[in-house]
Amino acid sequence: MTIWQQETLARQLWTTGKSPIPIYDMHGHMGDSQAIYHKRCQAEEMVKHLKRIGVTRLVFSHMDALAGIMRNAEVLEICKRYPDILRMYIAINPHHPEYIKEDLAAFKKFQPYAVGLKFLPAYHKVAVTAPAYEYALKFADEHALPVLFHTWGNIPENNGKVMLETVQKYSRLKFFIAHCIYGEWDYAERCVKESNGNVWLELTAIPGVRGLVEKLVGQVGSERLLFGTDMPWFDEYQAVGGILAARISEEDRHNILYRNVENILGRNF
Amino acid sequence: MEEMFFFDANCRIGNGPFGVHPGVDGLLAEMDIFGIDKALVRCNDADQLSAQAFNREISRMVKSDLSGRLTGVWCILPEQCPELPPPEEFFAQMRTNRIGAITLFPKAHGFMASKLSLGKILGEAAERKIPVMLYNCYRNEEFVYNFLAEFPNLTAILNAGNKWGTDRTLRPLLEHYENVYLETSGYWVPEGIRDLAEIYGAERLIYGSGFPTFDYGSSMLQLKYSGLPDDAVRKIAGGNLQNLLKGCDL
Ligand SMILES: [Zn+2]
Repeated sequence: MTIWQQETLARQLWTTGKSPIPIYDMHGHMGDSQAIYHKRCQAEEMVKHLKRIGVTRLVFSHMDALAGIMRNAEVLEICKRYPDILRMYIAINPHHPEYIKEDLAAFKKFQPYAVGLKFLPAYHKVAVTAPAYEYALKFADEHALPVLFHTWGNIPENNGKVMLETVQKYSRLKFFIAHCIYGEWDYAERCVKESNGNVWLELTAIPGVRGLVEKLVGQVGSERLLFGTDMPWFDEYQAVGGILAARISEEDRHNILYRNVENILGRNF
Repeated sequence: MEEMFFFDANCRIGNGPFGVHPGVDGLLAEMDIFGIDKALVRCNDADQLSAQAFNREISRMVKSDLSGRLTGVWCILPEQCPELPPPEEFFAQMRTNRIGAITLFPKAHGFMASKLSLGKILGEAAERKIPVMLYNCYRNEEFVYNFLAEFPNLTAILNAGNKWGTDRTLRPLLEHYENVYLETSGYWVPEGIRDLAEIYGAERLIYGSGFPTFDYGSSMLQLKYSGLPDDAVRKIAGGNLQNLLKGCDL
């Protein structure tokens, strides 16, 4: 019997294409990117793709807002057009301190659509430990907000070393460590274990790579993992398929796809 | 629901210079877990092995698969150094060893892939419609473009991805070369398989997993729910590769 024929999530997804449980995609974007062609990178097409499999919420940061050529207020308007599915991170561009101050001062206005902040240190070429991020980090810490940090192993602005230093500095901020510091898995584990219980690892680019989800579950436990896809970069079925293919328990899959997020942000935030 | 026939075009087996990997039994067990019927296999860490060792190893492994579900890939070398048999004999040996396709690693094996070096064997391959596998096209576009310009009539199967989308570099090749096929492992673009099939035809796409780097579950679910009609999905999942291997003159 194949995994698709067993009485599991896999069977339901394989036969219907619809998830019987909620899926919170905690790492999305929107808009064209410089690197690759995206056919489906605007809200309408993205939402169509998300709804096919049954993603409950996508939390995204707009590429243009990250680039500093669009204000977060405009992204808020996009979210308002799709209130049942889209949520946003306030894009933080360290080269625009005036935008950061203005947007965070108005953070309440962004709620409930904005659930936290997004940092992209390697792309902005500013290390996460640099003073340019301090204001936003302190704000997030004060309000115990989630911050999705783009990370990648061996990239100086957001590698294991600077992430570990950062998680140890802020005890209330909710660290969502995107890509699990890809490749520096031991640092990712240390960030979870040597912090104040306020660190989760986000899985974008990992499901589908054979053995990695299992490895991370083994290192930090499925309670510390969040599902994400970088949508519109990666296909939802591809990523969910990677969670289904992993040799982990059904409980683990439930934790990764929705339970952990519901514990942090509440159901249907 | 009628089961879907899956033929994995991109699969590596056996230990290599860089470590221990699933062999024939490991792969077949994995295929059973996910419902993969057949696979086109090559060696792991291929570019660190001599072409001779690569071909010998893959023949040995394919031979040990008594189920007949595995078909091998051999690599080629310039004909001026008589390391491999001449085309006629090479292809005959492929047939007897259950080898269905060829590939090449010019960088690792230290040669220029041109008409001068490979004209005879690839001329024959084009005529006989023997599939030529081009792995790792991502960030290797210059080689692929030059190679296809040199050998425009080959039946070539290009790997489409390394997680990130490769449309800007691979779509022009699909448009210009009618015998070029795209193999989908690592092509994680949302509904991208459907977009390619709608433009170039489902006949031009071939399912590949990328095992053991990638798992089966992710690529299978992605293809099944690519948004294409069932008959197109079935072609991509296995029908197209099966037809190419059956249709070539080996
Ligand atoms: Zn991202």
